[in-house]
Amino acid sequence: MHLDRLLPGCLLLVALSATLAVAAQSAPADIVFKNATVMTASHGIIEHGSVWIHAGKIAGVGSDVSAPSSATVVDATDMWLTPGIIDPHSHSALDSDVNEATSPVTPSMHMIDAFDNRSADLYRALAGGVTTELLLHGSANMIGGQAVVIKNKFGLDRDAMLFPHAPGSIKFASGENPKRVYGSRDQLPSTRMGNFEVMRMAFEDAKHYMADWDAYDAKVKKGDSSAVSPKRDLKLEALADVLRGKLYVQIHCYRADEFLTEEAIAHEYGYKIRAFHHALEMYKVADKIAADQTAIATFSDWWGFKDEARDAIPWNAVMSMRQGVKVALKSDSDDHIRRLNSEAGKMVHYGGATEDEAIRMVTLNPAWIIGVDDRTGSIDVGKDADLVLWNHDPLSTYARAMKVYIDGELFFDASAPGLGATHFSGVMHEGGFGSYDQEDGQ
Amino acid sequence: MKISPNQNAVIPSAVEGPVVVLLDANSPRTGVPQARGLHEMVFIRGVEISWFWRPAIAKSILTAAVLLTSATAFAAEAPAPKVIAIQGGKLLTVSHGTIENGVLILADGKIAAVGTAAEVKIPAGAQIVDAKDLTVYPGLIDPESNFGLTEISADQMSNDLVEKSDEIMPHMHVYDAFHSETELIPVARLNGITNAVVAPANDDSIAGQDIFIQLSGRDRDEMILGRDIALAMNYGADQRRRGGRGAGNSSFPSTRMGLITQLRQSFLDAQDYVAKHDADVKKGEKPKRDLKMEALIPYLKGERPVVIGVYEGYDVEVIMGLAQEFKLKVILNHVTAAQDVLDKIASYHVPVIVGSIYEAPKAGERYDAVYTLPAELAKRGVKIAISSADAGGPVSSHSSRNLPYAAGFAVAYGLSFDDALKAITLNVADMFGFGDKLGSLDVGKIANIVIANGDPLDVRTDVKQVYIQGVPIPMTSRQTRLRDEYSK
Repeated sequence: MHLDRLLPGCLLLVALSATLAVAAQSAPADIVFKNATVMTASHGIIEHGSVWIHAGKIAGVGSDVSAPSSATVVDATDMWLTPGIIDPHSHSALDSDVNEATSPVTPSMHMIDAFDNRSADLYRALAGGVTTELLLHGSANMIGGQAVVIKNKFGLDRDAMLFPHAPGSIKFASGENPKRVYGSRDQLPSTRMGNFEVMRMAFEDAKHYMADWDAYDAKVKKGDSSAVSPKRDLKLEALADVLRGKLYVQIHCYRADEFLTEEAIAHEYGYKIRAFHHALEMYKVADKIAADQTAIATFSDWWGFKDEARDAIPWNAVMSMRQGVKVALKSDSDDHIRRLNSEAGKMVHYGGATEDEAIRMVTLNPAWIIGVDDRTGSIDVGKDADLVLWNHDPLSTYARAMKVYIDGELFFDASAPGLGATHFSGVMHEGGFGSYDQEDGQ
Repeated sequence: MKISPNQNAVIPSAVEGPVVVLLDANSPRTGVPQARGLHEMVFIRGVEISWFWRPAIAKSILTAAVLLTSATAFAAEAPAPKVIAIQGGKLLTVSHGTIENGVLILADGKIAAVGTAAEVKIPAGAQIVDAKDLTVYPGLIDPESNFGLTEISADQMSNDLVEKSDEIMPHMHVYDAFHSETELIPVARLNGITNAVVAPANDDSIAGQDIFIQLSGRDRDEMILGRDIALAMNYGADQRRRGGRGAGNSSFPSTRMGLITQLRQSFLDAQDYVAKHDADVKKGEKPKRDLKMEALIPYLKGERPVVIGVYEGYDVEVIMGLAQEFKLKVILNHVTAAQDVLDKIASYHVPVIVGSIYEAPKAGERYDAVYTLPAELAKRGVKIAISSADAGGPVSSHSSRNLPYAAGFAVAYGLSFDDALKAITLNVADMFGFGDKLGSLDVGKIANIVIANGDPLDVRTDVKQVYIQGVPIPMTSRQTRLRDEYSK
């Protein structure tokens, strides 16, 4: 956890919210949910609990809250309230532009340039309670490019859907996909040996580039007017940002041996791995990866779709969690993103996760992977009011998201006529990146 | 005790001591997965412990085994419990409601009695299974699977999904490819799937003939309950493979017009073949058999169903026109984009397999347009089944274990719980001609039974024990062995 960031922020916001409660009369009306089963994701489950939204933030949570009498009351009797669902691995709304598969190292490709904010994928995910997504590159390349974080305010323009000031993430891959994409063209890499060497060579280039700039900066600092600036190279700049720790490294990786290799390379070049994605064999080496504080974003129960998914077991998430690895479930699919809540429910079955642990796998833990856990992912005072109201226990098969709020505003209402998307009008684009692990673009 | 692979051994959970099953590398026991590099499997109380089986400890365990088995005087061959009484559970009969505190008697592989504790007398000597606080229901039946036709989806050598050389392939028999030792079967079985229809993939207009399987048995022949039970047909978007689509393609068919004409011609050819064949026989001649034409005959006669995979409403109308012309006995499959013709579908009076329930609606349609489909069809009196298929692609039975959750999803969107459970048990059995043998807790039916700790359709529920043909199945798979190996 970013305790250093989270704690002062919370304290400040607690103080602020008390002030705002009095001051902000012109802001949207306050909302109070009453008598809900509140799954906070950070501090347990509150039966018959209340949550107060003020100015887009959570202003109170508990058995009772001191909301003003002017607040709109939502009777949530027999309903469940959770933080918005967060998907740390989505390729939605990118019109399949997820791989610049013309070179195995393309770190300067930015996912935001492909983001289609009118995609039907976003609407369907919203109806499943998804409020935040990390839109990632595919896995054709060893280093694919930089991700974009969105808030699923479907119906608003592109820029209004970006998660403000979210940290940058970069997508790496490994294993079968890069070696197949380039190997089928008789190019490097065509083996796992080639895969990792491509990465090391890229970082050697980046180190050299950084040294050139450091030398130039030193000359300028000394007042050397003859200093000639090195040429800017977008690819090497992006890799330098990895080495400088400015980007969260998100790695598509399946096999136990490859987690160990990836960690060794990260240690060698001095960067940290934020999360392994897919990570189907994490249960084999979870104790070692826990020591590196790398999280995982994994499937609930997918297996057997390719050779490196042969040893996948549905107990992976809970077994890894018990070894100290932070575990998120992710969709990597325009289908599963619509029902991540019941995917989390499967973890109660496979390994005996508590309801609290299970809901955390699709809220607070993916928020940590994206680096926005100080802002969303749990029902805590001061956090963004990203909330979902369910008609049934969200970890069961039977739950439907009835209302979805983002920053305190209602964006989906199942009881509304038509689509239920409160901010959307006009034409929706056909989505459909497809299903799991088709992210090599083939 | 040791059981050799050619003995018809079951692994009774009642046996106290370790049971060692010797695996012959050339004939591994079907349905009991072969452990990597092991030549024998070890069970204690019906739980496989082969992963713990190491030479270092083998001797001590074997010694203990000898002591235990001699102490309890078991015979060399472990007989299956002849009679099992499952008592105290909540019985979901599917056919005649729910029985609280029920008793279910399994004998000789069949259901011998079902009722309340007051109604059913437990025979002397029966093995008692305490199902207090547990739910008991018939084994689930997946109406569309590819068990035994695939192992690793991306590994072409492990796939025998469909013969792509021609659109019209009725003479392809799934039983010729069915690999009964597939690891997908024990995985699905652990979640209560006990039977399935196995069909070829949907690339052809006529892809071949399905089998109906039991998810346990010594070999292929024990597991296949029915051969050539249905003809797998498809119509709409994906079958115009060789011609590609539209102008610029030189081979027939490249449009829906071509697809339907080709199908019509095939059935006409088959009718012609029958007429000629009969005439030749009358003349005392011995006509040459045409296996492709011959394969269509039972379906032309309406003796067995054709399962037609079709998505769009207008495609449903076209293909049903052809089906009516040739008086085919139809089961519709998918129909996930046919919301506009549901009344018409009801008017055909044919059963429908809905799936994938997770299929995406079209852009601009309400998000639950497919989720609500089972409820909408049931409301119109259509007999429905629900398949385990996932959205956006060919069915993959790696996810067959999620079949009950697909049914649960239909409940979330308006289908009654009873109809949902029926859609993955009795209705499937009925559609494929096994309604008198499977799909409900009724006397005389095959004893395929699931005991779970709660609602069978809920993702959180744990299946505790599965019985197939009255025999408790080892609740293990390669996946549980990996779990246990790395949990040490």
